[in-house]
Amino acid sequence: MFARLVGESFVRNPRRKLLTAAALVVGMAVATSTLTVALDVGDRLAREFRSFGANLLVTPQSDTLPVEIGGVDYRPVDEGSYLQEADLGKLRTIFWRHNILGFTPFLDVPARIATPAMTETEKYPMVPRTIIGTWYAHEVPVPDETTFKTGASVTHPWWKIEGRWFGDGANECVVGETFARAHFNGTAIGQTLNVLPPSPAGGIVKAVPLLVTGIVSTGGAEDQGVLVPLNVAQSISNHPGAFRQLFVSALTKPADTFSERDPLKMTPTEYDRWYCSPYISSISLQIRQVLPGVDVRTIRRVADTEGRVLSRVGLLLWIVTLAALVAAALAVAATSATTVLERRDEIGIMKAIGATNTLVAGIFLAEQLMLAIAGGALGFVLGAGLARVLGQSVFGIPATLRIVLLPVVLGLAAIVAITGSLIPLRRASHFNPAPILRGE
Amino acid sequence: MFARLLWKLLRGSRGRLAVAIVALVSGAAVISALINLNLGVEHQLTQEFRTLGANVIVSPGQGAKAADAAAAVPVLMGEEAVMQAIAQTRTSSVVAAAPYLYVIARAANTPVVVAGTWLDETAKLAPTWNLEGEWIASRDDLARCLIGRNVARQFKLTLGAPLELKYLDRNARLTVAGVVDAGGAEDNQVFVNLPVAQNLAGREGMIGLAQLSVTGSTQSIAAYAGQLTELLPMFEVHPIRQITEAEGAMLHRIQLLIVSMVALILILTALCVLATMAALAMERRADVGLMKALGGSISRIVGLFLAEVGVLGAAGGLIGCVAGVALSRWMGQSVFGASISARWEIFPLTIGLMVIVALAGALPLRLLGKVKPAVILRGE
Repeated sequence: MFARLVGESFVRNPRRKLLTAAALVVGMAVATSTLTVALDVGDRLAREFRSFGANLLVTPQSDTLPVEIGGVDYRPVDEGSYLQEADLGKLRTIFWRHNILGFTPFLDVPARIATPAMTETEKYPMVPRTIIGTWYAHEVPVPDETTFKTGASVTHPWWKIEGRWFGDGANECVVGETFARAHFNGTAIGQTLNVLPPSPAGGIVKAVPLLVTGIVSTGGAEDQGVLVPLNVAQSISNHPGAFRQLFVSALTKPADTFSERDPLKMTPTEYDRWYCSPYISSISLQIRQVLPGVDVRTIRRVADTEGRVLSRVGLLLWIVTLAALVAAALAVAATSATTVLERRDEIGIMKAIGATNTLVAGIFLAEQLMLAIAGGALGFVLGAGLARVLGQSVFGIPATLRIVLLPVVLGLAAIVAITGSLIPLRRASHFNPAPILRGE
Repeated sequence: MFARLLWKLLRGSRGRLAVAIVALVSGAAVISALINLNLGVEHQLTQEFRTLGANVIVSPGQGAKAADAAAAVPVLMGEEAVMQAIAQTRTSSVVAAAPYLYVIARAANTPVVVAGTWLDETAKLAPTWNLEGEWIASRDDLARCLIGRNVARQFKLTLGAPLELKYLDRNARLTVAGVVDAGGAEDNQVFVNLPVAQNLAGREGMIGLAQLSVTGSTQSIAAYAGQLTELLPMFEVHPIRQITEAEGAMLHRIQLLIVSMVALILILTALCVLATMAALAMERRADVGLMKALGGSISRIVGLFLAEVGVLGAAGGLIGCVAGVALSRWMGQSVFGASISARWEIFPLTIGLMVIVALAGALPLRLLGKVKPAVILRGE
């Protein structure tokens, strides 16, 4: 009987249900899409933040003081200590290896340079200039028999090149924008640049000819220098396989009060939790563990800004999501309320022929619940589509669909639809059937 | 007569109107709060990004063949000319500006980079530095210095320790006021006030570069740099691309995200109000029938009802706006720790939107023009 009453109500007057159903579908679609995006946004933005460059700097532990201005090291080659290139594959074996997006070693070597445009007296000046050895896109062998392609293309994405980058391991170079303007006639690309080690230590040292393949513009000190493949810099400085600095770009979780604590004072459970979270402090510890004798520093300028902005934007989005949920709830509640109000006549007749308040409420609530489940499910599907479009247009990658949200959205729809009709139903229980039937 | 009818209408059906009012007020509150927040968010976020430090650099540039800072005779700029130009163009969007002169001096016979700058601006230029000790609050304090973490470790210096710097035959005796943990090249440098470095290098009144931290969008930073270039045509003014570009891209994405979410909520809220008003209008069928039977023209009747929903929309919009501004203040406080000031344009925007939505909801009333009064009065 009860089921038939509810069923009849749907069949007889579908128009009346349409408004609530539409509100439910739209409301739940918005709730689903905003929740999906809000859940996804942390990861996406953290990835975006990597365009600010590396957030970890690895240097030898027992190093002399680097004489570094504007990112260029002016120390002579025989001073300070070096790190070994061969160890770098180990970075991809740490617990958070997939969070290591890229790393780039740097070896700054003082050298004397000659270009075709220089006069004889300008060539090979006694005061050495610095040439920067690095990787642009280099295949690093990883101990698990795979390779990992990394270099400045990943850690320094703002570097712009005119022409092409040097080939990995070739006797080629790219020159900085300012350097190219000052030391070349016409276009530098295609010309040859000769490099001599700073002080020939006995015997005749042959100049190394390097083909200029491109002009780089970085907006930093590199604009005034020459960039060469790492192994070329190594052979000029006579330090095969060595480098001085390593920039690491890692995806991290914003620091919180837990990550700020000293790992040595944690209980074993806390330590495990800390070690297994991608905090910048736990990643740097893991790097220290695979590369012994290094000092891993957080580039605080980048890491701190990332943490602050990420947590703020996350909070902001949750507030906006909350507003979306409230708006969705209001829309559903308001339409539920009006549909119940519209059906005062029906309630009057039901009560006149002997329905109890409980039965009337039961029928209405059952109807609302069915609407909520159907509308919520449809809304979820629509919302998932909407979230894909939103993710695609904002981040270029569609937001991942989360099935976990389905029960959440259905529950929300049910709660909202029922709450919305409860208030008018309470009023309906006070109805006196007689005036309603009279049409007053 | 019209006004009296309107008043009676509004008073007569308080119960039903309550739902509509609640929908209108909360809709207007959510919309105005989010629009306000969205307008304020760019300003707040660009402020946040200033923790990245300097993003505009003034350097001697290409005029110099030996622009290399380590070359024997580095090319320098006149301190007065550069800093005066910066002071002239300085607006509230320039968070900090300071000149720099780098000298590779010797401390205990080890080369160390000495950066001469305005130490009172350093705290603002590099807000992420962790400092042990105290900042040097005056640019005229020539007796004290800040040292990087690695410098402290290398020379085993603690707070209050003396440090002697030598360059050729000149020297400077300083006291360590603070140890800086910057997480960058600054960890290897000694920071002194500009005149100390100038004396040491024997280059009074000269600087190597100037750094500025400017808030704003990529375009406004570029515009500021352009303005500075006009005053300093002989030097090179350039935004640090690593920072300005990434910052611009991030801001764009965050804004796009928030705007699209706000748009969704806006549509939803408008739909909610629309549905409520439509339901309210349909309930008025009996009233319309009675009025028609009494001889009211349909245009007058519809006008009456439209006036009713119009008043509702305006009132709901106004109350909602006030609530929404308060809400966005709270949001700004909890997200950015700074309250977002209300923009006056929110009020006409939200109220107008609410009136339009309410009127659109009442449009089905026009259909009632075709209804025969007798049918309605019979209760069919």
